[in-house]
Amino acid sequence: MSEWEPKLLGFLCKWCSYAGADLAGTSRKKYPANIRVIRVPCSGRVDPLFILKALHLGFDGVLVSGCHPGDCHYQTGNYYARRRMAVTRKFLEYMGINPQRLQVSWVSASEGGKFTEVVTEVTKELRELGPNRLFSHDRQGHGTKATQ
Amino acid sequence: MTDRDMEQKLRSEAKALLEQGKVDGIIGFEDGSLKFTTTPLITSDKDDTSRLVINPFIVNNLSVYLTEVKGRVGIVAKGCDSRSIVSLLQDTKVAREDVVILGVPCRGIIDLGKVEKLVGKDRDEIDDITRDGDRVVVTVSGKEREFPIQEVLFDNCLGCELPTPQEYDILLGEPTLPASSGDKLVSQEKVNRLKEMTPEQRWEFWGGEFDRCIRCYACRNVCPACFCERCFVEETEPPWLLAVPRWQDNLLFQAVRNIHVAGRCTDCGECERACPVNIPLRSLTREMYGIVDELFHYQAGMDKDASPFLAAYEATDTGDFIR
Repeated sequence: MSEWEPKLLGFLCKWCSYAGADLAGTSRKKYPANIRVIRVPCSGRVDPLFILKALHLGFDGVLVSGCHPGDCHYQTGNYYARRRMAVTRKFLEYMGINPQRLQVSWVSASEGGKFTEVVTEVTKELRELGPNRLFSHDRQGHGTKATQ
Repeated sequence: MTDRDMEQKLRSEAKALLEQGKVDGIIGFEDGSLKFTTTPLITSDKDDTSRLVINPFIVNNLSVYLTEVKGRVGIVAKGCDSRSIVSLLQDTKVAREDVVILGVPCRGIIDLGKVEKLVGKDRDEIDDITRDGDRVVVTVSGKEREFPIQEVLFDNCLGCELPTPQEYDILLGEPTLPASSGDKLVSQEKVNRLKEMTPEQRWEFWGGEFDRCIRCYACRNVCPACFCERCFVEETEPPWLLAVPRWQDNLLFQAVRNIHVAGRCTDCGECERACPVNIPLRSLTREMYGIVDELFHYQAGMDKDASPFLAAYEATDTGDFIR
């Protein structure tokens, strides 16, 4: 069997990070092929449900990438995303999910280089973190029994 | 002012509101079919108002019905319930002019389970439970036993920050003082114990709890903050979650529910009380309330003119986790 490779799901804003990824490609920059990309109209489109569902499906990490503060195509979408992601990360941690599995970045359309860096770094960190087995089928919960 | 006085005042005020046509309906409590319980009473008939009650067992958060009942309504609200109403006002789910809040200055609600445990008897064997100031008198086969009231109140009543509604139209009694701050620790204890665990242990703890979840969605149905007309768990094309007996799926539902109601959830505890398999849901809601408070200094349901937490932002919001 080949060596385990982390799988990263990226939600990229079409106005910035998605174009940033394009730029990285057309500039012939190299970044790990571990990221699978879903294009979203805005980082504010990303419901925390998407993140939990991605982890549930077996992704080892999720990257939400949008426009820098002040640069949102819709003026404020990324600000809502910031608040939502802050709360989600904290809550994941409390559930027992390593918050490192949810990464957020601001990458503009001209930052092909930064996109390359972010994906490289996140992939490296996920590799160190190991596979996400939280939602594995064979995993039994065995905490305390019925509590009042 | 006793519960009895408040009850009399409530009945006359509710009757007057209906008679004068100021409201189309009243949402309150009446005696339940079982001892020491109350059940919601929703009526537009002025004669029904004589059935309204105020006692230490008016446990439900009635604000959940506000989004369902049409027209202008009068609603009985304790301090905690009034916060849920404020939260609904913020989200424009309810218009302020369409609701007449009959505020109950609350001295805490009695958890029957705690009483049963204290006296070692079932509900049916208990003759009477009476609150007398800071004490509660439980009568079992003619014998009276006294306990400090704190021993029988619901956990989230201990350390209550807002016993008297801040937002009301008619206040049914004199305001009660917030509980002493030391009591807050009672609710925080379970959360703190979880936080001391390793993430791995926490995940296993929730695994043990959510293994019992039967996905009845009672937690969601009683929640005033869960007002989506269509919940993501009912989406079928494609489904977000399958109806399979896996605890991770159960936990995912509850986790997403909690995140969705962040800043709306006032930690009223209805979800935990509704849970038929006793999952300690307040350990989730309490922590979410804490996260929102700690990171954004925002407390749900305190200010009706404030923007809903998730539909607002500040330029100074924390972003230290962003690359």
